[in-house]
Amino acid sequence: MKNKMIHALAATAVATTLMAAPVASQAAGADAKVVAEGKKLAFSRSKGNCLACHMIKGGSLPGNIGPALIAMKLRYPDKQKLRDKIWGKPELEVKYSMMPPFGRHAILSEDQIDKIVEFIYTL
Amino acid sequence: MKKTLLITALSAGAFAVATNAYAGSNVDPEKDRKQFVDFIMAKSPKVPFEEYRLGAYIYNADKKAQYEAVDEFPPYLDAIDLGEELWNKDRAVYEKCFGSDVSKIRPKYPYFDDKRGEVVTLELAINECRKNAGLKPFKWGKGDIARLSAYLAYNARGQKINVKIDSEGARKAYNAGRDLFTKPHGQLNLSCAKCHAYNAGRRARANILSPALGHTTHFPVWRAKWNYLGTLHKRYTGCMKNMRWDPKTVGGPQSVAFRNLEFFEAYLSNGLEIDGPDYRE
Repeated sequence: MKNKMIHALAATAVATTLMAAPVASQAAGADAKVVAEGKKLAFSRSKGNCLACHMIKGGSLPGNIGPALIAMKLRYPDKQKLRDKIWGKPELEVKYSMMPPFGRHAILSEDQIDKIVEFIYTL
Repeated sequence: MKKTLLITALSAGAFAVATNAYAGSNVDPEKDRKQFVDFIMAKSPKVPFEEYRLGAYIYNADKKAQYEAVDEFPPYLDAIDLGEELWNKDRAVYEKCFGSDVSKIRPKYPYFDDKRGEVVTLELAINECRKNAGLKPFKWGKGDIARLSAYLAYNARGQKINVKIDSEGARKAYNAGRDLFTKPHGQLNLSCAKCHAYNAGRRARANILSPALGHTTHFPVWRAKWNYLGTLHKRYTGCMKNMRWDPKTVGGPQSVAFRNLEFFEAYLSNGLEIDGPDYRE
């Protein structure tokens, strides 16, 4: 049931993003260099390794443990909440979730997390 | 070096946190096993129970076909022959410890030794047998220990795993293994259960996560990634390193903690056929 809802939500999110695409690209204010660095960190196996679990546009052979990273602005209107999720604030941790607490366990530096957030937020 | 220290410190920290979050378990092993089997099998209702000796191959027809092709001339055959040579070389010593019927040895392990108050695995018993006879124990992980273990597994193929828990000590060992399996550890905050229970069948990049049900049936394993035959505890070590959890802080191969984990996983796999040695990607 919960899965179905997530799928439905993701589908709606995709549709909405497609419609809102021109607006979204205009609104993307983040520095292209920062986004590119964030992408590199997100795809790197020893750093973010987001592809291990998440489908991400531009990444090959993604895992399917976590949800696809699409329509992130819509899913996280509050960018800080997305950052907190990646950082690993205990109150945002989903029980039994595979998602590593990247900041809390010092897997990535604060700066690296910032860059990844900028990249993820363009998806 | 700095990174290693940091990871070690974090492992310890995470362990302390995890210990608080998850109380030590004290479940009824048989009830727990049944629940676990139901949970795993509900993910793939069409896969028959017997097939769980095949690990992650049950989840992907292409990978299973590749495995079956490799199995026509499996790379571990020489290792079985070398295992037989090892047996024959010190036959008198081994027969004194294990009896002369090589088909009846593998199925006895792991078991809980009430007098000792510990789980005894096949590999541990082999090396203790050698030591008591004045022979040099084998190194853990790969090489002769894996070869001899493979020879004994090969001769027991088709017999079913039948681990018994009929004492308080055995129950405690099962629960200790279960704790190690379920609690999150290491820098990545993973647990064995996150991959091999909750997300079994899903993919981490291109790797399909195997279910813990059946893990112990087919070891020792010739992994393409290793290109040699390795023991179950060798695999545990690799798994922990992937989790960025220092295996030494857990205990390492044939430590009490690793043996409890094997005991737990073997008990979960009761009723499945012994199929070792085997090939894995």
